[in-house]
Parts: sequence; structure tokens; C-alpha cells
Amino acid sequence: MLAIVLVVIMIGPIIFPFDSQSFGTSAASILQAPSRAHWMGTTELGQDVFRQFLVGGRISLYVGLSATLIAIVLGAGLGLISGYYAGWRDTVLMRITDFFLVLPTLPLIIVLAALFGQSIFVTSLVIGLTSWPQTARIIRSQVLSLRERPLVQRVRSLGAGDLRIMRKHILPNVAPLIFANLALVLSGAVLAQAALAFLGLGDPVQVSWGTTLHNAFNSGAMSQGAWWYVMTPGVGIVVMVLAFSLVGHSLDRVLNPLLRGEE
Amino acid sequence: MSLLEIDNLSVDYRVGTGSLRAVDHVSLRIEAGEALGVVGESGCGKTSLGLSVPMLLPGNATISSGSIKLADHELVGMNEAQLNRLRWTAVAFVFQGAMNALNPVQRVDRQILEAISAHDSHAAKEESSQRVLELLDLVGIAPARAKSYPHEFSGGMRQRAMIAMALACRPSLLIADEPTTALDVISQAQILALLSSLRRSEDLSVLMISHDLSAIKRVCDRIVVMYAGVVVETGTTEQVLGRRGESALAAHPYTQALIGAHPDLRGERVLAPGLAGHPPDLSKPITGCRFADRCPSAMSVCREIVPPTVTISEGHTASCHLLKKVGA
Amino acid sequence: MSARYLTRKLATLVVTLYVTVSFNFLLFHVLPGSPIQLLARSGHYDPAARAQLIKLFGLNHPLLAQYFIYLRNMVHGDLGFSYVYRKPVTTVLGGAIGNTLLLVGTATLVTILVGVWLGVMAASRAHSLTDASITVTSLALWSMPDFFTGMILIFICGVWTHVLPISGLVTPGLVTGTWGHIVDVGRHLILPALTLTFVNAAEFSLISRNTLVDVMVEDYMLTARAKGLQRRTIVWRHALRNAMLPIVTATALYVGMILGGAIQVETVFSWPGMGLLIYNSVVQRDYPVLEGCFLLFAIAVIATNFISDLLYQVLDPRVRRT
Repeated sequence: MLAIVLVVIMIGPIIFPFDSQSFGTSAASILQAPSRAHWMGTTELGQDVFRQFLVGGRISLYVGLSATLIAIVLGAGLGLISGYYAGWRDTVLMRITDFFLVLPTLPLIIVLAALFGQSIFVTSLVIGLTSWPQTARIIRSQVLSLRERPLVQRVRSLGAGDLRIMRKHILPNVAPLIFANLALVLSGAVLAQAALAFLGLGDPVQVSWGTTLHNAFNSGAMSQGAWWYVMTPGVGIVVMVLAFSLVGHSLDRVLNPLLRGEE
Repeated sequence: MSLLEIDNLSVDYRVGTGSLRAVDHVSLRIEAGEALGVVGESGCGKTSLGLSVPMLLPGNATISSGSIKLADHELVGMNEAQLNRLRWTAVAFVFQGAMNALNPVQRVDRQILEAISAHDSHAAKEESSQRVLELLDLVGIAPARAKSYPHEFSGGMRQRAMIAMALACRPSLLIADEPTTALDVISQAQILALLSSLRRSEDLSVLMISHDLSAIKRVCDRIVVMYAGVVVETGTTEQVLGRRGESALAAHPYTQALIGAHPDLRGERVLAPGLAGHPPDLSKPITGCRFADRCPSAMSVCREIVPPTVTISEGHTASCHLLKKVGA
Repeated sequence: MSARYLTRKLATLVVTLYVTVSFNFLLFHVLPGSPIQLLARSGHYDPAARAQLIKLFGLNHPLLAQYFIYLRNMVHGDLGFSYVYRKPVTTVLGGAIGNTLLLVGTATLVTILVGVWLGVMAASRAHSLTDASITVTSLALWSMPDFFTGMILIFICGVWTHVLPISGLVTPGLVTGTWGHIVDVGRHLILPALTLTFVNAAEFSLISRNTLVDVMVEDYMLTARAKGLQRRTIVWRHALRNAMLPIVTATALYVGMILGGAIQVETVFSWPGMGLLIYNSVVQRDYPVLEGCFLLFAIAVIATNFISDLLYQVLDPRVRRT
């Protein structure tokens, strides 16, 4: 499933290029139902929905990935430090984490996006900066149990540096957990980006699936029954999110007993 | 007629793609008022045997043959509603350790009360509450502690509460699965003493399951020794373990090994020489005697032919090729 | 629940609220290009309003003084002035908050009931076909953005079949008595509430299912069966009571989620609540209202967390006296 999503998004736009400047020229060409020429119909501007869909997926995925990268680096990094050093550093970091965990994520993202602009760079940054607390918590608790292991204790008593211990003994052990979490954060980020773009806070130049839905909603496509305009990008989001969360859940299911068993 | 009659009982577990026979054609009887101990290492099918009586086997287990008759009711094949009427009223259970056998978010008295009202919907509330306090008193828990949560009790008290709950509906049979495991030595002694006095005062039959021969010895009249899903020896406690001060009379090498494995100082269980290793893998077919691989006196015949069951004296039988040789 | 625990939790609550308010100040008043700074110089206000704004937030004072003025305004419940509505932000919020409560409250009630019920169904038949289909359906629903679910419902119930109103709180121009008004609002409520329920009930059913499956294999569940209790009693009284603990914790996080959902759903269905207010204030760059809404949402989530912490204490006797 994930593979199909990726292939469609990567290769699709090459085969069916989308020209954002080509508008429909006649009244007949706008909001057309699916046909042989336009597989998924046309938009209110007479643009091809299917081709827009293929390009939009790239933006959705791009924002999702970069936001996730930020969130994971932040979350895993803070989780590592917090769990490894324990003590006051842990207390302070976890207080901060809890605070961000409590803040309602989507409203915060909306506020930040409204304040700081709508380029896909800002969107990624904003989603990334608000999606890390859960990861930090999960990584921290795993690191806490890892640092009590005899091997780590021994290496430490031999005088190995903290950085070295973290890199050689802790990080490899939490890496699988980070990956499972990555897939889940990613599906959340794609959802957040979609919501943001739908609310008109997406990049107006880079058309994502959320943006397409925003345009569809605001152009009155709904009342004209232009289901293809709504369903195409919508199903795209659902399939992409589902693909990532399925991967995350199955990784989680495989890894969790493994991690538990080691303790 | 005996109170409990188990005939040719086999229990199979689905494991992965194959299956595993945890209990293999086991027959045993418990008379009214009698206490029977089932002993064996872990993984010998004791717990499966116990759980099969009130039909509480896990979802991947099936009873593939045999019958279980409790006070002349055939339990195998009974539907859930009929079983629910017999559970706790005819057969009650005291589970292993009791660590988690009590619901952690319910007060102890409430849990006992629930058992009473589940089987007697007409019971007056005050009467039932009174009964709960009596039950707790019977096992040595003061009424003031009745409203406690399980985590507020020590391990020994939890097990007492569990026993009080088991007696709530005046069952005729009490199954106690490792009732003293995970308790400290003093609590162990107290629980065993409690069980043996209750079985007389409450007119109970007991099926006690344990890996600990000394525990069984203190409560039970008769012993069944199980190994790898089959009964290898059965007899009265005296026949198998000997009278006080005498050496044991156990006939089967496995029983002898178990006796050797537990020095009478009730310390850690030490495996006797010759009882190294583990019970066999039951998902693979075994020819001959199941104990042969670990038996210090194994002969070539042991690996080929299933040993016959030999009567040593009235009520004392064992399944071993050695006995036949001696007897012949 | 010990007084000490309550005091500690209350102290945490106060500190968290304080940090939230300060965070809000940072976001809206201090950061470069923050709206209040911009507003004071922008042409959105007529000179009189601008003077009022400068006075209200003390923009002619140093930052620290502004901060204290801001805090004082907060304590007095003064959230500023909306330049779109030309009313105090508190008045604007006051008009919307009830509608959001109605929507979110209804959805939450249905979500918990349906979600937990589905979770119980799935868990009590764990690894069966029922379980698999509930789990897969839940995952699929969970993957749907709230606004997209809403749009699908609009197509089905509004555009194609016209069975339910798809927009607003009441039918414009409809004059009825009190009872008729309630029915009218109720009909408008169905689709947005349903949309919120879909996504969130999916989440709840997944959580309840997983915790229940874990609880089902506990020893005390075997005890309950051995006692001859009915299946229903076993699942609802023994299993669910123990599974409630993680579910309660999840509820706290859920509130943050459903508020995010409310923004999308109110936008799609033009439901005049705080979510729509956020959307409009984003579109119209009405920052004081945006700030007020965000603050209120944050407080709502913090308060729910606080309540769920206390509820946890009541539900789990093991932590009660520690």
C-alpha cells in the first residue's frame, strides 16, 4: 500500500505533467465530470484534477516528511538527553514536554501558521515544532530502562564518555522505536498539513491535496455535485495516512514485545 | 459414586500450526471429603487438568477426549449457562499466587458479595453482607479489613481472601492451583494449615495442584504424580511419601527424583542428580516412556514401549518398566 | 484523595495556566512581527481605536511593563478588541462558546459511548472477524481528516439526498416556537456532530480495544469467569472498569484533538462556534480574536487534563493513597 502511494506520487507527475498555468478556456471545460480526457474531471478553473492530484501528493508528502524529520530529531534528541542524564535535566525537559503535550496541537499550528506565513517551509517547521512531545516521552522511557542495563553500566564504569555511550549503546537500541514512531508522526503530520491547507493556510503557490480541497470547498464545487474534485485528493490523503499508520502500527506490534522481552 | 470422576481426559492446545497434548488420557477420582494432590514440574499438564474441570481452559485449548463428571453431572459438552450455574456453587477455584487473581479496583468484600449474589439473586443484602464477614472471619481476616482493596493486603492475606471467596457458595469441590507459590514461608505454612482445617470444617473435597510435595503432603490424603501430561504414579500420601520418619516408598523414578529434589528443609527446591533437563517437547511424538530421557535407570525397552500401569499395593499404582521386571 | 495530592495538582494547574498565558503573550505580543505590534501601526483601526489599543496593551511602555499590563488584563478577563466585529473579544467569544460546547459536548458523548462500545465488541471477540473489521474500519476512519469526512457527509446527506441541513445553526428565516427552534438546531447539529464522532470514536475504539485485550488475559478475569458470572458482567464490570484507566488518560489528549477537529468541522458546516471564529479570524487577520480562541482552547485542554488526573485517582485505588 505504502509502495503504491510512493510510486504514484514519484512517477505520476512525470508521466502526466501538470501545468498550473493552463486554465480552461470555455465554460464547458470547468467542473467537468470524469471523462477520457480528464480522468478525474476538472476544477472550477478547468484544470485537470487527476494531474493536480499527482503533483499535490508530492507537496503533502514533502511537508509531512520534513515536519516529521524536525519532530523526530527534536523528540528523539530531547528524549535521549532526558532519559540518559535523568536528574534535574530530565525534570526540566519533561516539564517542557508536558506543557507542549497539553497544548492543543492543531489550534497551535494554525496560530503559528497564521502568524508566520504560509510557505511550505514555514508549514513544515510549524508542524515539526509541535509534533515532537509524544516521541520525546516514548524515547525517554526506553532510554531510562536502557541505561540501567548491566552492559551500559559497565561501559560507563570503564570511563566511556557520555556521547560515546549514547552513540554506541543507546541509540542503536532505540533506533527501531524511533522508526515505528516516525511512521505514526508522519501520518499525523500529513493530516495536520491537510487541515492547515484546507483552512487556507497552505502555500498558495505549491498546490497540495489540502489546497485542492480548500479550492473545491470555496469554489462551490460541493453544491454543484462535483464529487470527483473532492474525492480525488481526499482519498489520496486517507490512503497516504492509512499507509503510514499501518506501517507504524505493525512496526510497533513487532517491536514492542521484542523490547519488552529484552527487559 | 465419587464426587469427581475424570475419565480418559485429553486436552490439546493449538500452538502455531501444530498442536500439543498437555493432558493425555488422564483418569482420576475424588471421593466426597477427600483431598487429592496433583504433583509434577511446571509444564506437566497439572494446571490444564485443574482448569478443565470448571471448563476454564484458554481459547486455544480443546478437550479432545474423555469425560468429567462432577456429582454425576457430565461437564464436557455442557453449555455456558449450565456451567455458570455450577461454577463456584459446585466447584470453586483458588488460583496461583493470588497476586492478581483479585480485581485490583474492587473492594474485597464486594468481590465476595458478587459471587454470592451471582448465584442467589434472592439473597437478602444484609444476610449476604453478614455472610461475607463470616467468611473473612473464617480465614482469619478481621471485619475491619473487609472494605480494603487487594493491594492493601499482604500476599498471604490476599490468598486468605481468595479462599474466603472460594467458600462463598459452599462448593463441594475446591481446586487450589499452587495456592502457596509466591508466598513467604510463614504465610505458606498458615495457608496450608488453613486449607487442611477448612476441608474438615466445611466438608470440602480438595484438588490441590502443586510442584511442592511438602505442601501436598500437609493437606492431601492421596497423590497423583503427573509427568508430561500423563499420570505416572498414584497412591495415598503414605504409600507414596511414606509415614513420618520412614523413607519414601515412591515406586516411579520420577516421583523418587521429585522427593529427592526437595530436601525437607523448606528452602529452595534443588534438583536431585539425575533430574537435569526439562520435560519433553509435547508437540513432537514420543515413543515409549516419556521420562526415559531423564531417567537414571532407563533401559532400552523404555524408549520403545509405553510402560504398563502396575499395581504395587491396594490403591498404589505406577507406570514403569522397572516395576514389571521386579514384579515378574 | 489526599489533600496534599490535591494541593500539588492545583499548584501545577496554576503554574501551567500561568505559563500558557505567558506563552500566549510571547506568541502574540513579543515575537518579531507579532500582530499586536503590527496592529498598532497598521491602518486597521481608526485613530481612536488605535489609541485605545495602545493604552490597553501599554504599547508605549517597555516590554516588561507590557507583560504586567497583559497579565492584569487577563486577570480582569479583558482579552482585547476585535476590529472585525468592533466588539470586545470576550463578547465575540461569548457568542460562540455555547455553540461549540453544544457541538463538542454532543460529539464527545456519542464518541465515548460508541467508541467504547465498539472497543468492547472487538475485544470480547478478539482476533475474530468482527474484531478485524472493527479495527480496520476504525483505522481507516482515523486516517480521514475531519473536514474531508464532513465534505463526504455533505455530499451524501445534503447535495444528493437533501435529508439534512448542511450549513449553519438554524434555518434562516424559519420562525417557530421554542420547541421548533430546538428541533431545528438539532437537525443542524446532526452532521457536524456525526463528523466529529466518526474520527474520534475510531480513536476511542482502538484504545479501548487494545487496553481491553490486555486486561482480558489478567488473572482476575479468569477468577471472574470461575465465579460463574455472566459474560456481560465480566466484560463491563471487571474488564472495562480496569481498562477505564488508560481510556481516561486518553480522554485528556482527546480534547485537544476534538477541538482541532471542531475548527475543521465548524468551517465545513458553517457552525457558528469558536472553530469557525478561528477560521474567520485567520482569514480576516483578526488577531485579538484568534488569540482569545487559542487561549480558551488551551485552558480547556489544561482543565480537562486536571480533571482526568483527579478522575484517575478516584478510579484507581492503587494510587489513591500515595
